[in-house]
Amino acid sequence: MTDANGRSRRRFLRAVGAAGVAGLAGCSAEPVAEETTSEPTDAGGTAEPTAGTTTGEPTESMADTLVVATYPPFVNAPSTSPGAWLKEEFESEFDATLVYQTPDSELNYYIERAVQGVDFEADVYVGLDTGQLIDVDSQRGEGQFTGPLFAEAGDIAGGDAIKDGLRFDPQSRAVPFDTGYVSLVWNATMDGGEFAAPETFEDLTAAEFGDDLIAQNPTTSTTGEAFMLHTIDAFGTNGYLDYWERLQDNGITVLGNWSDSYSAYLNEEAPMIVSYSTDQVFASTEGQDLDKHQIRFLNDQGYANPEGMARFADSDAPRLARRFMEFMLRPEIQAGIAQRNVAFPAIADAPLPEDYAQYAKEPPESVTFTYDELEANLGTWTDQWARRFAGG
Amino acid sequence: MDRPVGAALRRRVSGARLARALRRARTAGPAALAERFALPLLAAVTALLLALLFYYPIATVFVDAVVEGDRVTFGPLAEVLTDEFYLVRVLGFTAYQALLSTALSVALGLPGAWVLARFEFRGRETLRSVTMVPFVVPSVLVAAAFYATFGANGTLNAGLSALGLPELDLLPSLGAILVAHAFYNAPLVTRVVAAAWESVDAGAVETARSLGASPRRAFRDVVVPQLLPAVLTGATLTFVFTFATFAIPLALGGSQYATIEVFIYAARRQLEYGRAASLAVLETGVSLSLMAVYLRYERAQAAERRDTRGLIRRSLWPESWTRERALRRLAIAGYAVVVALVFVAPLASMIYASVSVDGRLTLDAYRFLLERQATGADFQVKPFPAIVNSLLFGAATLALALPLGVAMGVLTTRRFRGRWLVDALSMAPLAVSGIVVGLGLLRGLVFGVEAFGYRFTVTGAVAIVAAHAVGAYPFVVRTVAPPLDRLDRALVESARALGASRARTVLDVELPLVWPGIVAGAAFAFAISIGEFDATVILAEGGGTDTMPVAVERFIGRRLGPATAMGTVLLAVTAASFVVIERVGGEFRG
Repeated sequence: MTDANGRSRRRFLRAVGAAGVAGLAGCSAEPVAEETTSEPTDAGGTAEPTAGTTTGEPTESMADTLVVATYPPFVNAPSTSPGAWLKEEFESEFDATLVYQTPDSELNYYIERAVQGVDFEADVYVGLDTGQLIDVDSQRGEGQFTGPLFAEAGDIAGGDAIKDGLRFDPQSRAVPFDTGYVSLVWNATMDGGEFAAPETFEDLTAAEFGDDLIAQNPTTSTTGEAFMLHTIDAFGTNGYLDYWERLQDNGITVLGNWSDSYSAYLNEEAPMIVSYSTDQVFASTEGQDLDKHQIRFLNDQGYANPEGMARFADSDAPRLARRFMEFMLRPEIQAGIAQRNVAFPAIADAPLPEDYAQYAKEPPESVTFTYDELEANLGTWTDQWARRFAGG
Repeated sequence: MDRPVGAALRRRVSGARLARALRRARTAGPAALAERFALPLLAAVTALLLALLFYYPIATVFVDAVVEGDRVTFGPLAEVLTDEFYLVRVLGFTAYQALLSTALSVALGLPGAWVLARFEFRGRETLRSVTMVPFVVPSVLVAAAFYATFGANGTLNAGLSALGLPELDLLPSLGAILVAHAFYNAPLVTRVVAAAWESVDAGAVETARSLGASPRRAFRDVVVPQLLPAVLTGATLTFVFTFATFAIPLALGGSQYATIEVFIYAARRQLEYGRAASLAVLETGVSLSLMAVYLRYERAQAAERRDTRGLIRRSLWPESWTRERALRRLAIAGYAVVVALVFVAPLASMIYASVSVDGRLTLDAYRFLLERQATGADFQVKPFPAIVNSLLFGAATLALALPLGVAMGVLTTRRFRGRWLVDALSMAPLAVSGIVVGLGLLRGLVFGVEAFGYRFTVTGAVAIVAAHAVGAYPFVVRTVAPPLDRLDRALVESARALGASRARTVLDVELPLVWPGIVAGAAFAFAISIGEFDATVILAEGGGTDTMPVAVERFIGRRLGPATAMGTVLLAVTAASFVVIERVGGEFRG
């Protein structure tokens, strides 16, 4: 026993010693910079204009590293994701290195840092939507930021090719680079091959579709939020809660996020799910049965969720960031993103392969709320939904 | 000689008294000096570590509940506390499901403790080790596995219809939440109670029997009272965990069954920090009060116990059969079926999902893992570094949580006034959810503290280890404190009388006697570190600090293969680790 005891003591000491070293290596203390106000002589080092977007260009040297912040699946999906390809294409053309940052809390990560006054390295954010932009602005409204988080995009090459109706930022900071449509996906092999999804929101509450739909929680999921907004568009701010009550009575299943609900759909828990109208793109490349991946646009509409990119106002490489945004809007890059991100391009003339349109369905009519409508109401709408629905 | 440390702690150390003590100690030699101040020093270091790694970061989050624009208004907290919806509907439902979950977990866990503690069979030790496995299974996989097992088209219904029985539609429902909670927590109950059962004094049972008590009566009057504290420990922990549950109700219950934690998550996502913090304060307040009440009860129960001889385990396959023996074996067989359904079937479904697409067998998912490892870009999550990170964080967590837990165990087994409060505060990390811990560490340590013109920060990796260690060490306390409490003081005193130094006594007498508790605590700490997701993901910046559960989450897409394959790897690595931990611990037992 003594022998074993001695061995364990050494092991214990080794372990504690190692933790101590790691602890020291993991801590740092840096002098705190002077409180930065709007003075141009800030501690950032690189002299760059704080507000103007284009005026500083002639004097600024081209920085050689661009830090692109985005949501994890953009670079890291198990199937296809545009990240690696974009990095390769960008670096082969520009004499620069593209570095990705993919925090799990997405844009909130940067908002939290900005609110706390902590520096971050990202130059561009790729993949923000109207709701996130509103989050950014509501924080600034409380005066916690010393300046705006994002700079105005200004006049960027290729910007005029963006489709009408996709621009969602009234202050022109966010530039759309792709869009998706939230729709129903349904499984025609269910009910012994007899199942067919309803055509309208009204029919969805019919008894024959009881227990047939899986949706997501608007307070925790983007697709869930889009579907709720679509019902608000269809039934009005006074009617949507009653409509949801009918959905609830008809046995709708509301799960927490898209992946939970999609795995339930794949396990054939229900024949319909709220998802994206590009669902078949992936199913076809995987050789899956397309009958299980049918698309239905209720009321012949789909809720449009454009994705934008914006440059951080305190980026060290504003010129390179602008080049990157222009690069993202080029037709061949647009086509590449669309195929790898399984979404629609933001411009009309992206050279997509022919079969892409066959699998990525566009709704006859697209529905979306504007920044102003959402800014005034989104919080209330979601809270009301949560209170009514969770109370059930 | 064991000094009454409670008295030492209670005594106010005034300057004069300190000087006197120092003088006295100096004349007695440095060993006595070290002995005299070792425990207060231990207490101070432990308190400092906890304050730094836990209380300060959490306070930075809770400040949001009471401060609005630099003024202390208690506004957000008051708003939540006066809102009937949160106070009645949300809190009420959360408590209701936690109560049911606890009842189910205890009901499912107790027979397991009985079998593990009272029967001898091949693979018992291994079975005991793998009871920790459910702890590490990421909730996304539990959700997928439950749908594959209990869903409308799941394994259960396939089995039922093959037998010509009516099919069940179990998902989503409150029942599904409860079963998933039992999946996570019943093994905890089993483990804690089995440990207590094994230390029941066989002598006491024999005495009762010799005094004429029937086996049933001896069980009720001698064994049950000794098991009760352990059952309550398991039940309290289960309640606290299921009270702060998030991913399971969200995935399996549907949003009708939203718990308070779901609302915290949603508020944080909408950057409503005031509301998130207020709800977190409410949640923590309930859990912490419950824990404090329980600890007071436990203290009242704790009786001095001497060195004991454990009950003899019976063979699972008896040499001769009686009616009663047969009935018991039948009950065990029935229990095994339930265990297979609740624990084995979901895990098996998950493993099956990793090797099949649309019903045909394929190794594509594992090929994906190898490919990602070989050709993945720097910014993508790769399987092997995630495994290495998980093991490293697990080891670092052990290195931090074990000494911290043992120190706290030593302190909380001394008698002094207000001990239950120290106990409750030291258990508080269990009552705070991973999201809040992660957020607190992010804002308190990773963003840094400004002091003396410097900003002190720690890296994500250190913060992750801190989060894991803080979450894990209460388990070490819970497993180490009971054997410490029961330690025979006479042994220590004899060792000292024979000339052993205090330190020598600790290492050669006390430590070996509590070693099984330390090993169990180590297994818990490791399991918690390996399985932790919420805090890790908030703190991991994709900067090479991804763990196995993070990799599982990132590999989820429009097919389940890659995520379930990574989940299977996670299971394999952790099951192997637990067996190693228990084997390493085994050298001290015999």
